[in-house]
Amino acid sequence: MKISKLALREARQLFRSCLVNDILDEVRVRQAVDLLVDQQPRGYVEILTRLHRLVKLDVAKRTVRVDNAVATTPAQMASLQASLEKHYGAGLAISYGVNPALIGGLRIQVGSDLYDGTVKTRLEKLQQSF
Amino acid sequence: MDKLGITWIELLEQALSFSFVLFVLWKLAYRPIFNMLEARKEKIAEGVANADKIKVELAKTEAARQKILAEAGDLANKIIAEARAAAARVQEVETQKAVTAAEQILIKAREAAAQERAATLAALKREVGRLVVQTSMTVTGKMLSPVDQNRLAEETQKQIA
Repeated sequence: MKISKLALREARQLFRSCLVNDILDEVRVRQAVDLLVDQQPRGYVEILTRLHRLVKLDVAKRTVRVDNAVATTPAQMASLQASLEKHYGAGLAISYGVNPALIGGLRIQVGSDLYDGTVKTRLEKLQQSF
Repeated sequence: MDKLGITWIELLEQALSFSFVLFVLWKLAYRPIFNMLEARKEKIAEGVANADKIKVELAKTEAARQKILAEAGDLANKIIAEARAAAARVQEVETQKAVTAAEQILIKAREAAAQERAATLAALKREVGRLVVQTSMTVTGKMLSPVDQNRLAEETQKQIA
């Protein structure tokens, strides 16, 4: 679907209006979508499509997945959250998982960024170097 | 003469008859024989001359034959020499070609051997690496203590900062 420049600009403005302290406010997003659907301005489908994409990107950017070889301790969780918020800002949705196949270390994915310090990955790199 | 019983008339008669016989013999017998002998003599002389001529011709022919043979021999020797030279050139060229081909084959064989060796070494290295990693994967998980796990987690966390 080809989106016009006007729709792109309006979607961006709408998206910015949904941010509170640089964090996407879910309530505001819902209100904006409802408003668009009710009023149906010119090119509202394009605006909604673009807004949906922007929201999706923001959610992905603020979604953090932490995989550990063993269960992550609460102290580790707190420390990790502090580090991540310091680097990426507040409003991160962090989920934790246990994956013994990682052998040791953490695998942290924040949006498209990946921090992989697992033993498994290190061994795989070693294997590739052969 | 009288004492001998010879008379001039008789003598004359005898002389006449002898001359007559001699004449007749000369005419009818001696002359053809002499002619025949003369003809034969000429023929013999002619034959001898012919034989000499033939000898000379034969000698000339022999000389010509010897000359032709010598020329033919020279020509044959020349042709043989040229053929030998051509054969030597061809042999040289073919030898060079064979040497070049052999060198190419050797180079290709060496390259193939080197590639095969490199491939084998690489495969061996990969296999050793795989075994090392597999063993490490099996053993490391069991060897890592909670302290090690914490240290590893902290290392990853430091990457974010």
